[in-house]
Amino acid sequence: MFAIPPPPRYPTNSGLVATTLETANTLTFREGAEYTFQAGEGTYILRDDLQLATPPPHPSEAPVVNPNPLATSVVPPTSGVKLSLVSLNPKQVNHDLYKPHTATSSLLRWKSLGLNSIKEGKELKEIKEIKETKETKELEREPRVSIETSSDISNPAVSANGSNRSSTVRAFGEGNAALSPIASRGDGLKRRKPRNNIIKSNSSFVSRVIPHEALARKLVERDQGGTFAFANINRAFQWLDLSSSSKQDPMTKILFTKAHMLCHDVNPLTKHPTHMDVVMGSSASDIIWYEPMSQKYARINKNGIINNSAVAKIKWIPGSENHFLSAHMDGTLVVYDKEKEDAPFVSEELVDEGISIEDDDQSTLVITKSVNSTNQKANPVACWKISNQAITDFAFSPDSKHLAVVGDDGCLRIIDYLQERLTDIYSSYYGAFTCVCWSPDGKYVLTGGQDDLVTIWSLHERQIIARCPGHDSWVTAVAFDPWRCDDRNYRFGSVGEDCKLLLWDFSVGMLHRPKGANARARGSISTLSVPLLRQRTESASVINRIRSDSNRTGSIQQDIVDESEFIEHPVEPRARTAQLPPVMSKKIDEHPLSGLAFEQDCIITSCLEGHVRTWDRPREGANSSQIDLSGQQRP
Amino acid sequence: MTSFFGKLKSQNATSPAVGTTPTKKDPNAPIPTPLERMLMNAGPVRNDGSDKFFGMENFGNTCYCNSILQCLYYSVPFRDHVLSYPRRSSPESIAHAQTHAPPRIPPNQQNGAAKKPPNPSSARNAGTPPQQQKPEDKDSPEYKKKQALLAGPILNMSYENSQEYEMPETLFTSLKDLFEAVVVNQSRLGVISPSRFLETLRKENEMFRSAMHQDAHEFLNLLLNTVLENIEDHDRKLVAQKKAEPPPPMAEEVTDISLTESGTVSFPPILPTPTATSPTRWLHELFEGTLTSETRCLTCENVSQRDEPFLDLSVDLEQHSSVTACLRRFSEEEMLCERNKFHCDNCGGLQEAEKRMKIKRLPKILALHLKRFKYTEDLQRLQKLFHKVVYPYHLRLFNTTDDAEDPDRLYELYAVVVHIGGGPYHGHYVAVIKTQDRGWLLFDDEMVEPVDKNFVRNFFGDRPGLACAYVLFYQETTFEAVQKEQRMEGKRRASQDLTSGLGVLPRQSGELHQVQTVTPFGSPGSPSDAVQYPALDHAMTAPPQFKTNGHVDSPQSPPLSAIRPTSTAIQSKKDKAKEEKAQEKARKATEKQAEKERLEFEKHRRKELASKLTDAHKRQEAELKAALEASKASKAEEDKRHVLERIQTSHPNGSGSGSSGFDRFRRTKSLRFGSSNKKEKPQLNSSEEDIATPTADTVTPEKEKDKEKEKKNRFSIRKKSFGMLS
Repeated sequence: MFAIPPPPRYPTNSGLVATTLETANTLTFREGAEYTFQAGEGTYILRDDLQLATPPPHPSEAPVVNPNPLATSVVPPTSGVKLSLVSLNPKQVNHDLYKPHTATSSLLRWKSLGLNSIKEGKELKEIKEIKETKETKELEREPRVSIETSSDISNPAVSANGSNRSSTVRAFGEGNAALSPIASRGDGLKRRKPRNNIIKSNSSFVSRVIPHEALARKLVERDQGGTFAFANINRAFQWLDLSSSSKQDPMTKILFTKAHMLCHDVNPLTKHPTHMDVVMGSSASDIIWYEPMSQKYARINKNGIINNSAVAKIKWIPGSENHFLSAHMDGTLVVYDKEKEDAPFVSEELVDEGISIEDDDQSTLVITKSVNSTNQKANPVACWKISNQAITDFAFSPDSKHLAVVGDDGCLRIIDYLQERLTDIYSSYYGAFTCVCWSPDGKYVLTGGQDDLVTIWSLHERQIIARCPGHDSWVTAVAFDPWRCDDRNYRFGSVGEDCKLLLWDFSVGMLHRPKGANARARGSISTLSVPLLRQRTESASVINRIRSDSNRTGSIQQDIVDESEFIEHPVEPRARTAQLPPVMSKKIDEHPLSGLAFEQDCIITSCLEGHVRTWDRPREGANSSQIDLSGQQRP
Repeated sequence: MTSFFGKLKSQNATSPAVGTTPTKKDPNAPIPTPLERMLMNAGPVRNDGSDKFFGMENFGNTCYCNSILQCLYYSVPFRDHVLSYPRRSSPESIAHAQTHAPPRIPPNQQNGAAKKPPNPSSARNAGTPPQQQKPEDKDSPEYKKKQALLAGPILNMSYENSQEYEMPETLFTSLKDLFEAVVVNQSRLGVISPSRFLETLRKENEMFRSAMHQDAHEFLNLLLNTVLENIEDHDRKLVAQKKAEPPPPMAEEVTDISLTESGTVSFPPILPTPTATSPTRWLHELFEGTLTSETRCLTCENVSQRDEPFLDLSVDLEQHSSVTACLRRFSEEEMLCERNKFHCDNCGGLQEAEKRMKIKRLPKILALHLKRFKYTEDLQRLQKLFHKVVYPYHLRLFNTTDDAEDPDRLYELYAVVVHIGGGPYHGHYVAVIKTQDRGWLLFDDEMVEPVDKNFVRNFFGDRPGLACAYVLFYQETTFEAVQKEQRMEGKRRASQDLTSGLGVLPRQSGELHQVQTVTPFGSPGSPSDAVQYPALDHAMTAPPQFKTNGHVDSPQSPPLSAIRPTSTAIQSKKDKAKEEKAQEKARKATEKQAEKERLEFEKHRRKELASKLTDAHKRQEAELKAALEASKASKAEEDKRHVLERIQTSHPNGSGSGSSGFDRFRRTKSLRFGSSNKKEKPQLNSSEEDIATPTADTVTPEKEKDKEKEKKNRFSIRKKSFGMLS
């Protein structure tokens, strides 16, 4: 199916022809017990296994014949396959119904962009329910904090309704005249495209581009509700149509010369059958803004002019057409405008950033350029230094107010990014955090890390809820399954270096009696000798006492929430933290997994070696609730 | 540059800056190695050995020894104790011993470097110009190693100084000789040639005599066990002597130890004087932990517990797992059945049982042996496992007992022994080690090179090149120390950027070559250092004007220099940067004064809030501790009663109490501690465990099994030693 690839732009080293052969993606179907997994709702079955081809090294790269394992040269980072999913729904023209999706792309988000009105309606309803129950519950339980809580809760609902949004939640950069958006709302064709054609480009950054030979026809004939996927593998970046019958053939494949794309995102606000804004961050620190329909692109942070470290994560700022946030591996968060030119960046603050982070306590957020700066002629729009260590992941809260950032320093930081203010710092049990996501209602944050744990944090209680052991190696991605979450029960999944997919259920009720679960778990371990038994009961009573104590501290925290700049939370000892066991654990690949996404009809996983596996949800049972809901929404 | 560097060092500090600027322009001077570049602004040499970076000469397949010795040298508490036990010898005595040492015989090459006289101070003068090596690949490790030997100084450790310590020559004294020679030497860089140490090792241990490739973990285990024995022998002798004479004064050592702070591990300020009741247990306290094996008889449901000491943990590996998971699996329940039944004291006879091993007492230094070499039945030999096993920079253990003290203890990774090669019978070992204040370094025999922190992650086992982590060293640390270090890391990065960008300024090189006479018992990094070295004109270690300039010193946190006495060098670099910006800053300072005051106020309030929170937290913790204490006390009581009962009733061997079993174990001439191994059937673990419970019935089948295995198993240390028991 491939067009004959154009000759590489670089002269090949003589004699090394065979290694530069380009291979195609393959799609395989497998059957058998090892390609299924069982959860309470039924059996998930492997639909297909799409193997993305790893491209050969660029011809200009000298092939490494005998690698020196002790070579001390610093190798640029790379990343396993991650997916950005997007569905273009032409019916979705009603802007009142439109919800700016916050946790936009990549596999870590809880919701695909492929929302049609049915899903959306269901979600709206969900959120409203949550709001009601939460409000009443919170009021009963702790009237003092209810005002803040309820406002927090109502925000998703408010933001779900685009027209109301501005009344409560400020948009990012609002109030800064220099950033006031140019009125460019319109259909895809009228949207501004990047400047350069990627196919005709003679940039040394892009090696070559292979569009599908019948791209235009495929775009017209495809199921318009179907899902597009953008995927990175090695130095290649592929645009795939997951709804196509031959989904192994990429719509377009871009090969970069040296840089690996580590992360990418599609702007949900501007997607249109004729327009998609894709940004991707590379290991060489350059960022590409790519519009696949017109095959145009622009290069931002060219040669690292603004920040010269690799981009670990990139995401469009919720509700913004032009601005996206990228996390660089030197611990800096930078907001860029896709349409602005780069300018050599000098910190606008007079504080020397390097020194202030070290001498100060670590827990600061140094604004090296504020979003409120009046100098907005060029990129960056804003720049915040939050750590000396690499940032590994971040996620926007569903209410578009907060940002959860995790990194190699083992810290989860909650940032009020509208006010550029740090509110909380939580620490891992040990080791780095690798991934983070928000619950659909914004109440909980999940992290995965090098302690092999998934950890649940409560934003309202401002404390750890539970640690979830079950992985045999580092956790690489976590995600909520929004189709199996309601106001009290949550389903989430995690994948890790151990090649395992784990599914977890937790409910609000269960979470408030953590010691019981803990003691039971320990009981199975410990011996039943008399002294031990007695000790256990004693410690249980201690825990109860502490529990009441910690409630008190919780209320203290609540008191000072609005005033204090941030709160640094100490590590909770193991004996005092609830543990949650997985409901399903299965090795689903031979290679370490790198991505996880929940779709309405399937779960998609991806691995380091390029396998993208689609797992069909159980046929009956699981759909019943959805059918009910959609039935209500349909009229 | 290197050779002239060394020359200056030997000429020494009395005339520090002589001729630096002219020689700098010497066109023949080789480019400084990355390590030399890193140490350019290092300031005066310290006397605790924390700023010495010596390679080790390879005498043909002795890389197992080199890598382990380097790891132990950079185990700060271990080094401090080796240096100060039984006392530190004077530099004069070391110099004296060195001059009487036989000349170094180069093992395999006869080039210019090899003919150097043993005296380290003159070793540099006879260097062959490195230009002759030009055709070689300058990035190859071979070239770098040769260069390191050429650059020297080479510490020829063919002497021994054991009389100085009033001890017979043992592996311990040889080790102490090595450490002392490195510390006393006035160069920061060099190569140490541990010939005498190897001689001693080979004299005592048959299996290390061949020039074959050896197992690094086995060597570690043997070394620790032998050193332990040596020290205890010495202690016993001292105790016997002490009846006649008073103990030697130890005041010097005391100051020494209290000042060599690692920032992470704290020690009793005074080494316990060996007495009849409490021998010096510093080595025990560092590496030794306690495992509890709980065995539940499936017939009578009776649970018996037994404690065993361990010096390191050997964990089985699985593809795509983490060290955490390996440790978890180590403590998983295991069925004792069929040929491996358990002798139950309660119901008598061999019964099926469930057994699990948990850690009761956590060691200060946790040495983790990843069992990469696995016996495969069909091949009839050991095979190397190339499983991907990831290890984090920090670790806590999940497999502790409920009554373990400080079960949430935080460990940090500080050394990795890497095995490179396709199988267990050949290959190469190197060590990647985190030094106190110089970040991570790669020690590959003679070569020492600074590496990126991420370099440590190259040995999970998934990279091409056959290099895998084999032994991991984790040391106790605290959350606060980790945070502080993360802050320092950013600073170091900044300062490294600075030096690499600037190149060698005359002023810097002046400092570079300014080496202070080593004051062996002085205080490293004490504030007085700054006063002692007036030549460091720009080294304002505590610039007060900057403290007020924007960065408010926190009242609660102690001054930086007190916590990290070793950071003066870094600070001085930073100071320079500050100085450059000082004028500009001063101007801006006035402008920002008002804002700063506000910030200060804000910060103050924030701190109050934070302390409020921590207070609350502390209160919780105290309560928990009290409760634990209470329960522990009651448990101890219970245990005591239990033990008494058991001794009185059933056990002829007294195996019910861990201590008596241990004593019995101790009397044998064997290694006292195997590494705690588990669950690998072709290896010896079950018998190992049974040694402390040598009930007649259980031992017999085991012994037979051992004999079978003995034929196949190459790792015979444990086996041999345990064989002596029966």
